[in-house]
Amino acid sequence: MSETSYAVLGIFDTPNALMAAIPKARAANLGTVEAYTPYPIHGIDEALGLRKSPLGGMVLVMGIIGALTAFGFQYWISAVDYPIITGGKPAGSWEAFIPIMFEVTVLFATFTAGLGMLLLLNKLPFFGHPILTSKAIAGITRDRYVLALEAEDEGFDSAAATQALLAAGAVEVEVLPAPDRSPFLTSAFILRTLGGIFVACLVAGVAIYSLTKWFPLLKPMVYMQDQPRLNPQKASTFFKDGHGMQKPVPGTVARGYLPTAVGSQDASATLVNPLPRTPDVFAVGKKVYTTRCEVCHGAIGNGSGSLTSAYGAKAGNLQSQQFRDYPDGKIYWAIVHGKNAMPSHAPYLTERERWAVVHYVRALQRAQNAKDEDLKVAP
Amino acid sequence: MRTDAASSGAIPEDLREPALTVGTVTPGSLDDQVLAFPEIKPPKQWYVGLAITLSALFIGLGFIGYTFVTGIGAWGNNSPVFWAFDIINFVFWVGIGHAGTLISAILFLFRKRWRNAIARFAEAMTIFAVMCAVIFPLIHVGRPWLAYWLFPYPNQRALWTNFRSPLLWDVFAVNTYFSVSLMFWYLGLIPDIASMRDRTTSKLRKVIYTILSLGWRGAARHWQHYEKAYLLLAGLATGLVLSVHSVVSFDFATSVVPGWHMTIFPPYFVAGAIFAGFSMVVIVLVVVRETMQLKNLITDRHLDVMNKVILAMSCIMGYSYMMEGFTAWYSMNEFLHHGFMNIITGTYGWAGWLTIFCNILFPQILWFKKARTSYFWMILVALGVTVGMWFERFVIIVISLHQDFLPSAWRIYKPTMTDFGILLGTFGLFFTMVLLFARVLPVIATTEVKAILPDAQPSHHGDDHHV
Repeated sequence: MSETSYAVLGIFDTPNALMAAIPKARAANLGTVEAYTPYPIHGIDEALGLRKSPLGGMVLVMGIIGALTAFGFQYWISAVDYPIITGGKPAGSWEAFIPIMFEVTVLFATFTAGLGMLLLLNKLPFFGHPILTSKAIAGITRDRYVLALEAEDEGFDSAAATQALLAAGAVEVEVLPAPDRSPFLTSAFILRTLGGIFVACLVAGVAIYSLTKWFPLLKPMVYMQDQPRLNPQKASTFFKDGHGMQKPVPGTVARGYLPTAVGSQDASATLVNPLPRTPDVFAVGKKVYTTRCEVCHGAIGNGSGSLTSAYGAKAGNLQSQQFRDYPDGKIYWAIVHGKNAMPSHAPYLTERERWAVVHYVRALQRAQNAKDEDLKVAP
Repeated sequence: MRTDAASSGAIPEDLREPALTVGTVTPGSLDDQVLAFPEIKPPKQWYVGLAITLSALFIGLGFIGYTFVTGIGAWGNNSPVFWAFDIINFVFWVGIGHAGTLISAILFLFRKRWRNAIARFAEAMTIFAVMCAVIFPLIHVGRPWLAYWLFPYPNQRALWTNFRSPLLWDVFAVNTYFSVSLMFWYLGLIPDIASMRDRTTSKLRKVIYTILSLGWRGAARHWQHYEKAYLLLAGLATGLVLSVHSVVSFDFATSVVPGWHMTIFPPYFVAGAIFAGFSMVVIVLVVVRETMQLKNLITDRHLDVMNKVILAMSCIMGYSYMMEGFTAWYSMNEFLHHGFMNIITGTYGWAGWLTIFCNILFPQILWFKKARTSYFWMILVALGVTVGMWFERFVIIVISLHQDFLPSAWRIYKPTMTDFGILLGTFGLFFTMVLLFARVLPVIATTEVKAILPDAQPSHHGDDHHV
């Protein structure tokens, strides 16, 4: 033979004849022996000397990975990232994870079995195999059993292979020439295909993105937002003044802002600080004092804060006898209403914060005028 | 596809499995008979059937569109019956699908070789049934364009799904079920499509079949892995078929509603699913074997065996119903007791009795061989079971919900036109898919049937290692 051939195909009519021919073909030692059949034949793996399929192990490993993935995912979400108590169960109770662990195990295992078999073990899809262009292929997928001696190297002797197959009982022999053109799945083809897929994905992505932006704004989709309601600052014919938003009734008090120092400063003298003297309260008071008061009244309350010189006025010296004699209520009144150049601090201080500052001012005063018994260490 | 040594002379004549086909069937004649359908023009009846199913499908689509525009209020469900037709139909359709997986997976593991002839069709019906089923939860969420929120994915709302909810288990179970069924079905189709590729004369078909068959060439090295994969898939799908309807039943069983909160629910649901699925398979198979002249491949014996399965499942259902009554009585729980009495004497008592008659009493006629092989009786039973199983879900869902713990909340549920329209639409979708499938793909797994024909396997290959 001058031109190279890929394989010689011996065609058989019955599985029995095929099975009988396999040992003879293998003994001839002319090339790789492969059988092509319309359906799986019993015992052909052993006759051809094929190794056991490794698929079982692959599926087992991937199944275990699937189970662990599902467990880890659910545990991390339910117990770590987003712990929400459901039905009074601990966040990491694993019993509820079992159904999904099972499903994901099956999912991983199935796709390993199916795609692993096709892509990894059988190297499919592959459209360039020479047997697909043979005359025998129509019989292979129908009712013929083909034994092929396939070339392993350049020295393949197709004439000898033909003889061997005929001697083994083949009713017909086909010499399959080596493919004269590169197979269908060339790298250029793959690159082109990948390029095409990339462009298609890009187009689809842009299309889907714009669709998802546009679609939810369509009429039936926005019914939930299109409810008859009054938005703030919108006009309305319902009220006489034409405003959708009405002013609160005079004297309305916001929640949590019940005024306590409504009268004059002297009238407020009887107010009692409702907060206990605890480290927490002092911490709040110190924080508010350093944020709001220290800039004028100074770190120790002596009226020499950093702003005083620029401001042109001297802030009250809280260490002076006048203020040390103040009852708590009068200090509180000053914080709420302001005094002289001092503005009101009520808008941004809660009730608790105001009283905490009062406590803190008292602490500052006592710290600067400590008596001996103050130095006693608590037992 | 593995078979025991049926042709070996060691087995006495009367112990041998009866022939799986009628008359002379050779691999070649099988191809000519089955694979020819996609190549010929379908008869007029096919178009008539398609017109009917498509009309039903479009009616359903119209009502789904109406639901989208007006909202879920177009349906009859309202407090306290928040779950009604949508969940009934979902459970019903998922159940129909179970027969396919049972036939293709469990019967494969049991080496029931007769399954080979009907596995392809049953698997296809599984896929179509699950497609019908998923429509209902999707449209029931109200804003189906946001249905992807069902999946746990990192999102800007920093929310995760609740993995303790059986409804989320359902999402995973049904999605896994669909993908695994699809994979199983497609793997089985590959060698058959390769056969179609090599016999077609049309250029366009050749290209399509070449791509779909992935270049399958029947090499022994490929068959080896293929068979292994098929066996593994069958084993995995076996666990799946038992799990999916169990998970669906958890939707009910993990709640505290009287009549739902029972441990018998998972096996009871699985049996019911196989029951309903086999009935649907019988209905479709009878039509297929008559119109497509497949009597030699789908033999009387097939129908006989299928009807035996239906009978067995009917008995399991009977046991489950009795168990429900027993639980209600033995628990001495007055809510459970009230719920059970509602089934037999309540407003919907007719539905309860219809269920019992269609599912338990009437299928007992299949004890007679004459009924198992008579079209009239088997179709009547199968239609009865289909109706009965639908109403069984109605009984479970609506009767349990419409009167629960709080009498002031009790209400009679009435479905609307839209409910029925959407149900009709899914039947349209299912049968449209069945008709299209029968038209374009081999309805019988020719490769699998070839492997079990007489003399298909070598008579003496040493040892019987695979059995």
